Order: sequence, then structure tokens, then C-alpha cells
Amino acid sequence: MPWRLLKFALNPNHSEPRFFPPETPLKERYDMVIIGGGGHGLACAYYLAREHGVTNVAVLEQGYLGGGNTGRNTTIVRSNYLTPEGVQFYDASLKLFEDLAEDFDLNIFYSNRGHYTLAHTDSAMRTMRWRAEVNKHFGIDSEVVDRSHIAANVPDMDLDCGGDAPVLGALWHAPGAVARHDAVAWGYGRGAYQRGVEIHQKTRVTGIKVDDGKVRGVSTSRGDIACDKVISMVAGSSPRITSMVGLETPIEIYPLQACVTEPVKPFLDTIIVSGSLHAYVSQSSRGELVMGASVDPNVLHSTRSSFDFVEELADKMLDLFPFTGRLRVMRQWAGMSDITPDFAPIMGKTPIEGFYLDAGWGTWGFKATPISGKTMAWTAVNDRNHELIEPFRLERFADFVQVGERGAASVGH
Amino acid sequence: MSCRLPIQPFEWLDRHQRVRFTLEGRGFEGYPGDCVSSALWASGQRLLGRSFKYHRPRGLLSLANHDINALYENADDTHIRGDVTPISAGLQLSATNTPGGLWHDRMRWLGRLSPMLRVGFYYKAFHSPRRLFPFWEGVIRRAAGLGKVNTAWRRQVTPKWYTHCEVLVIGAGPAGMQAALHAAEGGARVILVDENPHIGGSLDYAWVHDSEAASIRVQLKQAIKAHPGIQVMTGTVAGGWYADQWIPLCTPDGIAKTRAGTMIVASGLLEQPAVFHNNDLPGVMLASGAQRLVARYAVQPCRRALLLVANDEGYRAALDMVAAGVELVAVADLGDPDARSALADELRSEGVPVFARHMIHEAEGSDGVTGAVIAPRIADGQLDLSASRRFACDGILMSVGWAPAAHLLYQAGGKLGYDERIGQIVPRELPDGVYAAGRVNGVFALADQLQDARRAAADALAVLAGHTPKGDPLRWRSRDCHSADWPIAEHPKGKNFVDMDEDLQLRDLLDAAAEGFDNIELIKRFSTVGMGPSQGKHANMNAIRVLARTLGQTIDQTGSTTARPFYHPQRLDHLAGRRFRVHQRSALHEQHVAAGAMFMEAGHWQRPDYYGSPAEREDQIRAEVRAVRNGLGIIDVSTLGKIEVLGPDAARLLDAVYTMRMTNVKQGMTRYALSVDETGVIVDDGIVGRLGADRFYVTTTTSHAAASYRQLGRYTAEWGLNVRILNRTGQLAAMNLAGPHSRRLLATLTDLDLSEDAFPYLGIREAEVAGIPARLMRVGFVGELGYEIHVPYTCAAELWQRLMADGDDYGIRPFGVEAQRRLRLEKGHIIVGQDSDGLTTPYEAGMPWSVHLKKPFFVGRQTLEVLQPRTARQLVGFALPTNYTGPELCECLLVIADGNIRGRVTSVSYSPTLGHLIGLAMIDKPLAGIDQPLPIRTTDGRIVEARQVATPFYDPEGLRQRADLQLAEAV
Amino acid sequence: MKLIPLPDLGPRPRSEFDYGGELRRPPMGADTALWAAYVFNRQGAPGLLREWWYHRPTGAWYLFERDTLADRFIRHIPVQDIQYELPSADPAV
Repeated sequence: MPWRLLKFALNPNHSEPRFFPPETPLKERYDMVIIGGGGHGLACAYYLAREHGVTNVAVLEQGYLGGGNTGRNTTIVRSNYLTPEGVQFYDASLKLFEDLAEDFDLNIFYSNRGHYTLAHTDSAMRTMRWRAEVNKHFGIDSEVVDRSHIAANVPDMDLDCGGDAPVLGALWHAPGAVARHDAVAWGYGRGAYQRGVEIHQKTRVTGIKVDDGKVRGVSTSRGDIACDKVISMVAGSSPRITSMVGLETPIEIYPLQACVTEPVKPFLDTIIVSGSLHAYVSQSSRGELVMGASVDPNVLHSTRSSFDFVEELADKMLDLFPFTGRLRVMRQWAGMSDITPDFAPIMGKTPIEGFYLDAGWGTWGFKATPISGKTMAWTAVNDRNHELIEPFRLERFADFVQVGERGAASVGH
Repeated sequence: MSCRLPIQPFEWLDRHQRVRFTLEGRGFEGYPGDCVSSALWASGQRLLGRSFKYHRPRGLLSLANHDINALYENADDTHIRGDVTPISAGLQLSATNTPGGLWHDRMRWLGRLSPMLRVGFYYKAFHSPRRLFPFWEGVIRRAAGLGKVNTAWRRQVTPKWYTHCEVLVIGAGPAGMQAALHAAEGGARVILVDENPHIGGSLDYAWVHDSEAASIRVQLKQAIKAHPGIQVMTGTVAGGWYADQWIPLCTPDGIAKTRAGTMIVASGLLEQPAVFHNNDLPGVMLASGAQRLVARYAVQPCRRALLLVANDEGYRAALDMVAAGVELVAVADLGDPDARSALADELRSEGVPVFARHMIHEAEGSDGVTGAVIAPRIADGQLDLSASRRFACDGILMSVGWAPAAHLLYQAGGKLGYDERIGQIVPRELPDGVYAAGRVNGVFALADQLQDARRAAADALAVLAGHTPKGDPLRWRSRDCHSADWPIAEHPKGKNFVDMDEDLQLRDLLDAAAEGFDNIELIKRFSTVGMGPSQGKHANMNAIRVLARTLGQTIDQTGSTTARPFYHPQRLDHLAGRRFRVHQRSALHEQHVAAGAMFMEAGHWQRPDYYGSPAEREDQIRAEVRAVRNGLGIIDVSTLGKIEVLGPDAARLLDAVYTMRMTNVKQGMTRYALSVDETGVIVDDGIVGRLGADRFYVTTTTSHAAASYRQLGRYTAEWGLNVRILNRTGQLAAMNLAGPHSRRLLATLTDLDLSEDAFPYLGIREAEVAGIPARLMRVGFVGELGYEIHVPYTCAAELWQRLMADGDDYGIRPFGVEAQRRLRLEKGHIIVGQDSDGLTTPYEAGMPWSVHLKKPFFVGRQTLEVLQPRTARQLVGFALPTNYTGPELCECLLVIADGNIRGRVTSVSYSPTLGHLIGLAMIDKPLAGIDQPLPIRTTDGRIVEARQVATPFYDPEGLRQRADLQLAEAV
Repeated sequence: MKLIPLPDLGPRPRSEFDYGGELRRPPMGADTALWAAYVFNRQGAPGLLREWWYHRPTGAWYLFERDTLADRFIRHIPVQDIQYELPSADPAV
């Protein structure tokens, strides 16, 4: 048993330090304000403090820490994207993820399970090969594999999918992992707090003050704050914030749903994604099957659940794992996703001086948490887009330049 | 030691039979109607299961489908809930998550480690050194999880069906029954659901000996049974509430998807446990659980009980226990018994000592309750242990408070809040058409519950009639407290469980809050309170109380977590229902089967990939290609989208939708139809043919058929055009007769003048072929003289057979999709979606000729105007030498120059006509140029240098479109 | 399942519809910046949104104003109200 647990046993009265501060009043002025206390916002605060020494920072969260999409996603980390810009960006994120637990001294349950993206059609096989070739080019461990590879690793899967659209092969991405999403946010939050950043929960931003095209401050449900730099990191609610500064974006909000079964003993180690079946599944360390599909088919600003979602998902899941029919869905939920036309994020500077945007995270924001925090911190400090995020700048749309990520991200897990 | 009681008035048992079953090899017996837990308990078996984390012995708690610690599995299922699953003959069960078995669980020592396993312990250990984490993760994963999955299980197909009603009543207790009856008497069609096998609810377990209840019971049940407007669904759980009153009613046989006009939630309350040391020992149970055990299953909960109460319900339960022969050693009242109704006096008169303002300090025992220690409560929830008293008993019954079963109310968008007076969360604001009645609405007295139910039903009827409901949901709400605000006692040894699903002790929550997880959502996520299979039905309320007190807040300020579907977990089998998969088959499918086709999936369609055996696939494909090039081939192209566009504005519509000019297509001619979206990206291609001034016939790709039809309709509406659009995709079959013999064969079957002048390349004609009305188009996709023949699907097989029979002389051969791909590749024609990607413009695809920017408007025109000069990629043709023997080339290999990705192969295959590999690649424009090298990197990293060549690879002048063997021979 | 209130057929289940997205009108003759904004930008914030819905069983398009926060269909918009002229092309030949 690890020594720290022995310490608990030997000193029953030992109390652990706080992760997060108790509520304190807002200061009148901060150097920077981060809107959104999810993974991205807390990561940005952490890197601002740790790498740039910027600690006069307030993270404003309308609800509770990690309560938005950070706490609602299905925790998959991977870097097997399609475009060079995507692959390099997510690979940098994955590498940061691998070190996080030790950086934080907090177990984020980063669990390297391996990740299959199943192909059921010729055209899907072509896309898998494309992704594999681009991935390999950047030194990322991805390859197109045949049915026998899948059968060896996931012997209980029905590769014939009940007789329709059998699996032809897959993209195998060995570094694919899952992590405990909440712990990632808590680790970043604790690290930022320990370095002097202020974290304010239940503090809703109601307006952003802009003069002469420059950010001057933020109005909140708890009063006004002066600042020169605001970083919006609120995927799922980005248009609400951008509309405060009169910024138009291509982002539309679509719900993304997921569900879990009752916890059972481990039988599935790898992460399985099927674009054709619009379904993905992994088994959490608690033993629940964590399942999801693609975004809902229309715009909606709500985290309501729909029954059609769980019906459809169950039906498809049983094609892959017929024996799970006897497992029971315990809970379903939804998050709101920022969807962009090219399935790539929108990051960096904006036409408004001092207003930085980290948005458009679609269904893949969790896996980008570390690198988004790191590059956005750099960008805000230097007032210049970090090179890794330059392809994701908002102005690309005005230039009719899209990132070609649609093929890899349309079922984005 | 049997604890079975004499026959109880409303018991569920069939005493005429006996049912034998086994638990881990030990035989047990019960009656039909028993659940597993009641049968075991009746046999004196009090160890029903083990807890999740510490593997502590656990017994009965609620008997209401929330007893997560009595979970079983067998060959057919897992997570079988003992407290609701009926026993059946031959049932063989074992307890879940008990290595070594229920009685000898090897993990039962884990409780001793609890000081180490503090809340969130796994976040604080096992991650360093990193290389050991996989080991620890394995240990944790194996320890977590409850049941075992049997991977040999197969899908059990169950039905789903639809129902409708005007009033859906959830819960068939007194309020639910009354609401259903009142609504039905008001003329509404009513569905009344209850998760229990019988209606009655609390009336039949909490009011058994009440004289007022007796007449109500008879009257309600008889009236409900007799009323034709009420459909009763027992054994049915309302799984969740979804938009527009869409509610899955989950029955044991499948799910009834129900659209309800209005919904009355009369789901009652979930009794909440008290929190004290060893409050999880077998023998500690909820008073309502004990009442259910007695009333439904005629089982005595224990011999000697101590009762902890904080409400009238507890005293009524006490009297029920006395009636069941249970000796009450004491009643500890958290508050003042004299402030309650006369029930306390009634008990005292029975000789039961009643202690005011006392709380249980601890329960004693190791495998079951042997005693209880109570102590007076002093300020701030502390106990005065100096005045404690010990009682020997084998049962502790708790009646200290309630939480509403308000899940559907939350999901429907209801706002709920804490009523300090009754100590319960109650509805504050409910959406239109949603009502709460009875105890879930804070109404406790039986007569008041019935009044409240009538009020809710009247409101529902008013809404259905289009009137404004006038009822006052507060009118009948109870005025006295039914839930203690602090039914919780600290204990130096802990083991005072707040969440028995997750084995969370009071200290775990206090520690979590102290570590900064001090709001209800964070504490839930860090401690996992409420995340077990019961989703906190017995834990969330106490967790809120703990946090509120810790923070010095009210319950409302502390808030509650969201109650998400499902109310009870639902099987994937049931959620999935019947397995429906769409398969589309062409009208010629049987012809292909007869001809030995090997099929491939193209969307929902099954299309012939090639004809012949898989072993000879390549040979067959090459032979099919050769047949088209040198003789005669025929392919089924029925899957193409086929749309008629009719009306005075038809030409304007098509002109605005497609990139090429369509207004000047001459009657009897066709034109290539390429469409792009607003971003200038290619989305579809096909043919536009003009049959008359106002009549066009349009084809689209297979995959885009539905979308193209849809888009045309929308633009027609948006632009206010006078156009009719007909989708003929399913009505018409189509086949492409291609090859230099095609005209010769066709001429024998039609009177149409097929001469080059009369029916030129790209022409479209309507005529009879073999007596079948047909549309014929001379198209060039495969690059030979050919006719695409569209006929009603009913005649397709006849025509196909005729063409095959008559074409025999010319060596006709059906060809499949793969041969067609090779043929089109030889011609350099793109396949949308393969040679184009999600960003490809017509300029990149090498088709600038297809974009008529001079038109004033078409969808995407202005974008293409911007993008034209910025075109950075180009689709180029490439070839490898005839004698190429290098590594295999396949689609999506990358083009690499100077170590950078500069493009990718979009199509590549062996050209049977040219005798070497040809392909298309989308590459950076600077690299493009005829005869320039094209370095392709193979999967294993080798570079293959191909050479860029002009396209079409075959017949660049297009002479073959007119190549007619008959003519040639004649000359 | 959500119901969509058709003006002529009454409420129909969501599953019968395809979503057509936000109603937009191309700014004919706009400069490139305005055109790019038209092509890509959307009204992303919650509120009233005018949207296209395609009803598959009837093959008809409908326009509704919907509250995207409450998911409430507020009103049906007759297509005549939003029609615009195509830029004049050659008269139909």
C-alpha cells in the first residue's frame, strides 16, 4: 500500500489541505480574467501562474468547478487526428496529459487503454488509412489494422455487428487513453490556487466592458472588475460571451449526450469508437460502461436528455457487444457543444484587443485541456497566437480557410 | 427459524404453493409472490449481501427497489435486485461482488482498512511512480464494479410500443388512485402506472390497520377496476420525463413509449435512513421497509425492535410492528413525542417506553443487530453519552424523514425547494400540464391526500379542456414536520453510513467539504455520494443536510443535484427494442444474385461489387472492364438519385443550384450537374436533362439522392419559384448499357432513331425499349458509347433479362461497382467524396470548366469567385510503369516532398485497358505538372516515384463515345 | 420525443424531420468580408431563432421561430414572408 494511505491510517486526525479556496470577495482589478472554471480555464490559470508568473488572475465560474463540459464528457484522450495542425496540437496535449498526475501530485487515473476507430465501409477504411498515414508522419502510433487485430484485443466484440455493416478493420491508436475528468480540473484548479490565482465559483459574467476596441473590465453577478485581458474559455456557452463584445462567430450550440450503465467487473479494456454506428464506449475504472454518440441533430441550449438518444445508442451498442443487453443504463446526461463548420476549435486573439477566445471545442475539448491552457496562457501573455494554435484563429473564416478536420472529428471521441 | 407471519390482509403471497430456490448452493423456500429478500428474511437469512467497498454484511433496507446491497447474479442476469425480484422455482443465485461467496467473502477484512481508504484516497495515491499505476489500476478496477458480465449472453429482442393518454398518473398509492379515478370520471383517458405488482401503494402497507383507509381502499380499487377509462399498468416504471410529455413506461416485457397530455406525479416519498454507527447492520431498516415486509410478504422484520422516529409515520409503523408480534423495546423520538398525534400515547399505553429527544448513538453487533445505544440529544446535534441507554434488540427501525420521489418533476422542469415546516423538499413551481399529488407534494393525512389528488386531477382536466387550472397545490399540504433536520450522529469509530451504495461514512463527506469540495455537485463528484446504482435515493438528502450544516447554509442554499433518467436502471435490451436495419435493394437485385454477384454496401443499398467468385475477384473485374471497352456491358445504376423538375421556373431553379449554366440546355440534351455548398465545396454531381421547355430530369449520386431532392425543394420555397419537384429515385430503375455494341443491341429493341445525328452524345430521349416506356440518356461516365436506360421499377427485371438474353450474341456481361470505378478512373472522372474531401472546390478538382462564374447567381458562386485565385491544391493524374513491381499502392497514401506532406492519393488501381497502375492525387499546386514526379510514401515508409500524366488516361479525345462496332464493321 | 407543431397537420414527432438550420439570406453583391460572415457566422447565442425544418413524410419545408433555450416552437413563418428574388438571370429559355 502506498505510504500516503498509511499516513492516513496512522494519523486519523490528519486533515488534508484544501483544493480550492473558500469564497472571498472579488478584487477591483486583476491583470487577467478567465471566464470559465472548467478544465481549460483552470489549466490556463495554472500555466499563467506556473510558466509566466502571472498570478493576479481571477477565474470566474458561473456554477461550480468543472461543472460544464469538463464534468460531462466521456474522458477520452487521443491524438489520431487527420490534419497536420490537429495531429500536432493534440499530440502535444496527450504528452502533457501523461505527466499531469505527477505534476499535480494527484492521481487523474490516466489510463492508457488503446483506442480503436472501427471502419464498416470502404470509405471509412480509406479515411482510417489517411489518418494513420498522417499520424505516422508525425511519429504518432496509429495504424490501420484488420479484424484479427481487433479480435485479439477485444475478443468479446461481435465484428459482424449482428449481420449488418460488419467491421472491416480499424484505426488502432495505442496511446488512446481515458482519464478521470473531474480530477484533471481539480488538479489544475488546486495548482493555480496554490500559486496565487483566485477562483470564484457561482460568479456569473454578465457583461464585458470594451472601449475603443479594447477590453477594460468585466461585470459579474458579484460586481464589476477591471482588467485589460479577458480569456473566454466557456465551450458550450461561447456565443453568450462573444455576443457581449459584439463578436460574430460560426459557433452553434448542439447538445451532446452520454450515459453510463451500472458498474460491472472489468471486461473491456480498450476504447471503441464506431463512426458508422455513431457510438463509442469505454469502461471506467469504476466499472461503468461509458457510452455516447454524435451530437444531437439540431441547435439547442440545454442539457436535457432525450430518450431517442439512449434507444438508438443501446441498439447500436448491442450490435458490437450483444451480451451487454442485460446491463442496465443507470444515468444519462448531456452537455452543450460549440460546433464549428470545420470541426476545429477557434483559439487565440480576436479583433478586440485583450479579448482572447478558446472556443469551438465541439465534442473533443477534454482531450485538448492541457494544451489549450498552455497555449492560451502563452497567447494572452505575449498577445500573439502561439504557433500551435495559429491554424485555429478566428480570422480563418474571413479568409475562407477551413481546417480539414471534418473527416476525423465528425464522430469526435 | 421462520419469521413468517399468519396471513396478512393485503399480502402478495400465494400460500397454496411453495417455491424453492438456492443462494450459493443453500436451499431456501418461499411462496409465489415473495421477492428474494423477503423469502430469505422469512427463512431467518439476514445476511443478504455485502457492501460495495468494505464488503460489510448488509440486510434489508427499503424493500422498495433501492436495496443495492442485496444484489444477485445468475447464469442469465446480473444486478438482480433482491428486494423486488420475485422468486421462481429453480432460481439459482449468488451474491454479486463477494469473492469467496456471500458467507465467506475474502474481502470482508477491507473494512479494517477504512482509515486508509479515506474519501478520495485513490486520487492521492498510486500515481507515483508512474510505472506502477497500471498495476494499482488493475487492483482498483477488479475491486470496483459489482456484477459479472457473461460474454456468452445474446441480445434478447423485446418489443417497444406506443401508447397515448390524456392523463398519466405515476404511482398507484392513495393519491395516485384517487387522481386517476377523478380524471377518468371527468372524461379523460387515463393510464395509471405503478412499479409494484399490485396497486395500492402505501395504503396497503402503511395504513393496514386504519379504519378510514379500509373503506377508501375498497372504494378506490373497485372503482378503478370498473372504470373503462383507466388503463392500469403495474410492474411498470416511468423511466424518465422527456420533452413534450414523452415518457417511457418500462414494463417487465418491454417499453411503452407514452405521449401523455398531462402528468400527475403521485410517486410518494423515499424514506431516508438515520446516520449512526453501524446503521448498516442487517436488522437496521427503514420503518416503511419493515411495514412492506409485514404487509406484502407477511414476514416479521425482527423479534425485538428499537424504533427511531421523528414523525407520525414512525408511530404508526410502531403499532404495525406490535400487531405483527414484534416486541418494541423502546421508541427514541428525535423530537417531542407529545407534539405529535395521539399515537405516542397509544404506544405508551401498550407499555412501550418512549424517549423524547433521543438519537441512536450506535447499533451493536457484528453480523446483525444485537443491541442499540440511544442517548439524549443536546444542542447542535450532539448526544449526551453520559445519559445513554442500551437495549438488547435484533432490529432497529428508522422513521426519521423523507425525500420526494420527484425525479420526473425535476426532469419536466419543475422547481422544487425545501419546506422548513415539514422538513421536506417539495414542488414550488411546476410546468403546465404537470402536477404533483399526495406525499410527493407534502400532503400526508390520508383524507388530505385524496383531496390533493382531486385537485391535481381537476387541474389536469381543466388544462385538457383548454381552461386555466385553478387548484391550489398548497391547500392540503401538511403543517407539521415529518422529517428531522439532523437525523445524524457522529461517532469516533465512524461506520455511520450516509451512502450505502458507495459505503460513504459521515466523515467522508465532512472531509470532502473540508478539502474544498463544498458545494453539492463537487462533494458528489469527489466523494461519489449518490453515484451508485440507486443514484442516491437514500443518500442525497442526508448529504445535503450534512453539507448545509457544515456550511451554515439552508437546504435551499445548498441545493440538490439533478435527478437524471432513469428512475431505475433500464436494460440495454429493453432500450434497444426490436432491431431494425434499413436495407435497400434495387429492383434488379434478384438478377444480380442469379448472375453470381458479390455485393457491397453503398449506404443502405446493396450493390454488386463484381460478379463471380471471390477467389477470382481481380480477374472478374478486369474481364468486366474489358467487356465494356471491347464489347458490351451492363450495370445497374438504380441507386442514383432521380428527380423530375417541372414548371415555368424549372430552368431558373437548376441554374441557381448547379455551377454550370442550365437555362441554355437544349431540349433533348443533358449537361453535367455539379453542385457546391455555400463554402464552395463540392457536394454532389449528376446529370441535368431537358425533356421540354419546363421539364427537366435530374440525376444525383447515390449517397446524396435524398439531400439533393430536399435542397431543391427548399430553394424552390426560398426563391418563390413556380416549380414542382418529384422524387423518382425509388420509382425508377436504371441501367447503363455500355460498350461499342450497345447501339446495335438497343436498335433491335426500340423504334427510336439511334443514329448519331438523331440521338447524339449527351442526348436524352423518351421512347419504348422492348415495349417498356423508358428514358434514355447517352452518358459518358465509363467512357464508351452507352445508354443509361431509366424505366419503371416494375419493368426493370424484364428489360434486364431481355438485354442480357439478346446481348448474348455480343458477349454482354454485367459489371459491378468496382469495374465502373476503374472505367471512370481511366477516364479521369472524379467520385465525389473519394477524390474530393470536405474542403475540395471544383478548381482543386481540376474542373474549372464546370463553374460558370458569369452567371449572376448560383449557390456558392461568390465564394468560388474568391477561392478561384487562391486555389492551392490540384487533383492530378499519375501513372506507374507497366513493369512496376514495387510495394502495393492504395488510396490515402501520402505524397511526400522534402519530408513534408504535400498531398494524398485519392484513387489508384490497375487499369486493365492500359495495363498499368493509374491514379489521382490531390497535391499542393506547386508540385503539379505533367511528367513531374509524384513521390508516394507507402505504408511501410518507402517512397514510390510515380509520374504525373494528363487525364483522361484513356481516350482523351472522347472518340469512344461514338465508337460503334456496327458502324465500324459496316465501313 | 419533441413534437413539432405543423400549421396544417398538427403536432408531429421530431423523428419525422430533418433539421435545416438557421434561416439566412445571402447578401447579394456584398463585399468579401460581408460574404464570408454570411457563409460562416451564425446566431450562436440562445434566443429566438428562425429555422428550416424538413418534414420527410410530406416532403415539405417549414419555417419556425423557436426559442433555442427553452426548446419551444414559438410560431410558424409562412415561406412567403421570407422569399427573395433570385438575381435576375436570363429569362427562362
